[in-house]
Amino acid sequence: MREHLFSQTSADTWRSTPAPSRLPEGLDVPTGAGRSARLAALARRHRIRAATAREVFADARAPRQGFPVATSGQAAGFLGGLIRGRRVMLAWAVVLNVGAAVAGLVAPFMLGRLIDQVTGGSLDVSGLTGLVMLVAGVIVAQSLLTFAARRSSAVLGYDLLAAAREEVVRIVLRLPLGHVESSGSGDLLTRITSDVSKMANAARWALPNLIVSVVLIGMTLVAMAVNSWLLTLPMLGTALIMWFGGRTYLSRATAGYITESRTYSVINTTTTETVEGARTVEALGLGGLRNAQLDEDTEVSAQAERYTMTLRNMLFAMVDSSFQLPLVGIVLLGAWGHTEGWVTIGQITTAALYVSQLQGPLDRVIAVLDHLQLGVVATARLIGVAQLEDDRTPGEAEPDGVKLTGSGLRFGYRPDLDVLHGVDVDLRPGERLAIVGPSGSGKSTLGRLVAGINRPRSGEVTVGGVDVMDLPLDRLRTEVALVTQEHHVFVGSVRDNVVLARETTASDAEVEQALRAVDAWGWVSKLPGGLDAELGHGKTPLTPAQAQQVALARLIVADPHTLVLDEATSLIDPSSARHLEGSMAALLDGRAVIAIAHRLHTAHDADRIAVVDGGRIVEIGSHHELLELEGQYADLWRTWRD
Amino acid sequence: MHAPRRGRYDFPPAIDPDSRPDLRSPSRFLFWLIRSYGWVVPAMTLAASSWMVPAALTPWLLGRAIDAGVSRGDATATLGWIALLLLVIAVGVIGGILYHTFAVREWLLGIYGTQRRVSRQATRLGHVLNRRVPTGEVLSVSASDSDQFGATVEAFGHVVAAAVSFTIASVLMLTTSPTLGLVVLISTPLLLGASTPVLRPLTRAQEAERTENSSLTSLASDIATGLRILRGIGGERTFARNYERQSQKVRDLGIRLGTWQAVVEAISILLSGLLLVALVYLGSTHMLDGTLTVGELVSFFGYAVFLTTPMQVFFEFAQKWVQGLVAAQKTMSLLAADVPWRTSGRPVPAGASLRDQQSGVIVRPHRMLGIVSADPDASAALADRLGRYLPESDAEQSDDPELSGRARRSARRERLAARAARAAVDAELAAKPWGVTADGVDYAQLDIADLRRRVVVSHTGADLFAGTLQTAVDPWGTHSREQAERAMVVASAEDIYDAMPEGWQGRIDEKGRGLSGGQRQRIVLARALLLDPDTLILVEPTSAVDAHTEARIAGRLAAHRRGRTTVVITASPLLLRQCDDISVLVDGREAARGDHEQLRGNPDYHRVIARGMEESDA
Repeated sequence: MREHLFSQTSADTWRSTPAPSRLPEGLDVPTGAGRSARLAALARRHRIRAATAREVFADARAPRQGFPVATSGQAAGFLGGLIRGRRVMLAWAVVLNVGAAVAGLVAPFMLGRLIDQVTGGSLDVSGLTGLVMLVAGVIVAQSLLTFAARRSSAVLGYDLLAAAREEVVRIVLRLPLGHVESSGSGDLLTRITSDVSKMANAARWALPNLIVSVVLIGMTLVAMAVNSWLLTLPMLGTALIMWFGGRTYLSRATAGYITESRTYSVINTTTTETVEGARTVEALGLGGLRNAQLDEDTEVSAQAERYTMTLRNMLFAMVDSSFQLPLVGIVLLGAWGHTEGWVTIGQITTAALYVSQLQGPLDRVIAVLDHLQLGVVATARLIGVAQLEDDRTPGEAEPDGVKLTGSGLRFGYRPDLDVLHGVDVDLRPGERLAIVGPSGSGKSTLGRLVAGINRPRSGEVTVGGVDVMDLPLDRLRTEVALVTQEHHVFVGSVRDNVVLARETTASDAEVEQALRAVDAWGWVSKLPGGLDAELGHGKTPLTPAQAQQVALARLIVADPHTLVLDEATSLIDPSSARHLEGSMAALLDGRAVIAIAHRLHTAHDADRIAVVDGGRIVEIGSHHELLELEGQYADLWRTWRD
Repeated sequence: MHAPRRGRYDFPPAIDPDSRPDLRSPSRFLFWLIRSYGWVVPAMTLAASSWMVPAALTPWLLGRAIDAGVSRGDATATLGWIALLLLVIAVGVIGGILYHTFAVREWLLGIYGTQRRVSRQATRLGHVLNRRVPTGEVLSVSASDSDQFGATVEAFGHVVAAAVSFTIASVLMLTTSPTLGLVVLISTPLLLGASTPVLRPLTRAQEAERTENSSLTSLASDIATGLRILRGIGGERTFARNYERQSQKVRDLGIRLGTWQAVVEAISILLSGLLLVALVYLGSTHMLDGTLTVGELVSFFGYAVFLTTPMQVFFEFAQKWVQGLVAAQKTMSLLAADVPWRTSGRPVPAGASLRDQQSGVIVRPHRMLGIVSADPDASAALADRLGRYLPESDAEQSDDPELSGRARRSARRERLAARAARAAVDAELAAKPWGVTADGVDYAQLDIADLRRRVVVSHTGADLFAGTLQTAVDPWGTHSREQAERAMVVASAEDIYDAMPEGWQGRIDEKGRGLSGGQRQRIVLARALLLDPDTLILVEPTSAVDAHTEARIAGRLAAHRRGRTTVVITASPLLLRQCDDISVLVDGREAARGDHEQLRGNPDYHRVIARGMEESDA
């Protein structure tokens, strides 16, 4: 049945023409066309780029594969909740920033008055000195207040960020077991590194600067009105330009930047593959193709860059004119108001100085909102991970005994394609059962169901009479453990690396005992710090054999009565196999074992062997029984052993 | 697989990745880069000037408008000056947009140009690449040094424009009031200089925060990578706690950094505020004795604010040029690497018999040869020799961030010297007879490109590339569906196809992530079979595959390659039974030769295949 799908649909899914270019149609520049045709083509290219950005953005918000993404509302709610828990910090940051802004507004105001008094002849040198000393004092106060304001904003930002990322890691560590096992680590890794760094940007840079800029803009406008309401009128133009222009920009920028950063990760992926696989590229003559792929990657990326460049150009035009044009307005209104006697030169000076002070905050506020949007999108991706439903239903029932039974097991990773078609299996306490069968037969899937990783579509796996899916994870781990080929060494102490399953209960003596059992105590006790020695990336390096011993010691500490060994061959690297035989034996001693076996030798030594083919157990029995059966297993054994 | 380009795009600018850079020194490299951008850098400089010069003129125009127009109530004069001010503002806005446009263009030329050069260099060097430059360094040239060139070249244009506007502003100030002009000109650099003492602790705080933050990121990726274990076996609390501890450390360092940033900002406000106060005082006294007008004083306020910008640009340029030199040096070290062999030579005879002198193994044409060795490294080395690959070298130490500047520089010099020494050794190895002959001709005499076409080694670490199942099996895009189907069947990989809802168009992730070891190995095998070279050397092609599937592959492989030259390095009796000849290596030398039946009684042979059956299993 399995071969059918391949032979049936191969012709339909094979692409016999070259893959189309990843660049959409219509991006070329017309040659020899008139000006209006060229302008129309320019506008068309911009629309195409905008459409591409929207598509990529939509995909980022609702990915077809990988983990789900939360809505912006949920993300904002999450961040809002964290801010609400920091009301006092926020209040301090706002109050101090208002103080600093007010102090900064005093000096220009007094300069204006001073100019009026000088031109009016109502000031002598001693009066001038007094006034100047006063301004100097205000400036000292402003600088102190600025220090306090910036620091309090930084405290708020970093504190919020720390809380947010810690919560994200806690969410990741709660991921349902079935999803962890089935989805690759790639998507999760991207989220926990690059999305956290985008969220960090928003929290530690954008949020404090938003507070600073908004307060400054607001207070400056108030000060301008106090100085002269007439000379504040030109700011209406600024407000209008910033409001409409800012909205236009911000509604497009997020999609543009997400598209852009995605094109760079594509380039990085291509380059990493080419560089790390340089030998493969050379052996298979793929050089030209790899270069062509990178060239296309950069062309796609250039289009994304071109789009955000246009957006930024529009923004620059807007910000630059929105703070420079009011200057013209102020001089114009000032000249008129001055002849009418409504404003003084001093007030004009003050207003002009205020306008020039607004450039910084106005420049910043849009960039800040931009980063905040990106941060919210990143946060939505991060907390989206929490939306995965757990299919475990932990109950109170306590297993009675250690007997493991699976009955009527059916399961498929795709709704339309079952991998297992009703499997019954039981494991006697202390028994070794080997599962053999061709790849794709469902033997690994069977192992995962038995270990309580996935819930069968129908049927159930019980241990001591209780459905494994009803056991709390902490409990399940002491009953059954799935041992895969992974032997990751974590960044942390030796103890952290070994206690895992019983992190709250295992004593140092138990850890030491487990390490002794797998013959690892010799080298561990020689490490500086012993159990406290730091392992993992960038710390004490371990040989593959030592890493495997650590992996085995974890299981001894967990002490489950049943082990499911998946591809155990790969767990033991041939060069260290002899050395690890004893460690492995120590682990298996006294436990029931289901071994998904690649090599027939494992099967030979087992108490019983189950041959899985096409999602069913087709033969089961001891080695000798199966040989007498003269079935699949017997055939294979004879070819192997002749 | 790539469609021809449809006409000309307006972006990116044309890049010729094959042009030869000037590799004599880092600064020559940077100047070569600037020249290679053609008109972009001059245009950017011009645009930057037309953006900065108006900013230098605005304070002056504002002062004139007040003096000539507002103070005297002269409406015509006011309007005239205002019109001029508007014009200057418009020029500035347009100049700013043009500057940004050219800067982006220049920036992208640097990024994409470097990335394309890195890719070309990687594909040209092939397996030699990793012997010359460590992978991490190659990737950082592509990802971050390429970006640095953009920043450096932009700073180059910016600094020229800053110098022009600075000169104009100085002339205007000095002609208005020499005393006030001198005060501004002298105190501005002093003010910027005064904040340098706090810049050092600021930089240290930045570095500390960055280092600890990258440890925090690696803790997070460590958790994500090992999540199967953490959720499967346990340990969530321990690692959540470790992460929290580091996160709090980064938080504290971040607050320290924020404090220093606040100090720098407070100092700059204090100093520029005090300059303003000094100007007010001097200006007002000048006004009182009638040597300065109101408008002129207002202009000076404007200059005191404006002049900090060009000053900052000068300081930044020095910094960015130095950073650019460092990036240039790393990039040059990569681009200067060369392949050790000559690119021409005699063609490889078709159907040649290969002979390895070191082991005494002879690969006879049109037959399938099995190679069995007690030491897996010896047979892998034999495969490398037969394919003319240099032996694998140890990874080089990367930069140690703990070292101080001088120690790091000297460590780097030592590494560069070691690289040069290795390149010399490789060149010597490649020049002398290789020790493998094809029909009696040593490999050193043969054309390397032709050899790569005719003799293909599929080694154990062969990589899959991201794409579809179809491009993974047929990356060249030149084979028919029937050929690909046959290769898939021989590699017994039909179930991989079945598991993908989109069939041939199913996604294969980067490096085949998400596939099991056995699945990856079978796709790699199908790909090598589809290439169908004269001589195919397969190193441990079924080590991660179960016995059922291995038996199936063994039979199909022999039938598929019948009449072609195939070498299989393996310990599997299932594969060896299908071989025409088997060569048994002991201590790297051929100790016995024959087929499976003939070697049945050979103890060396038996020992290895027994290991294949037993020891590799639990």
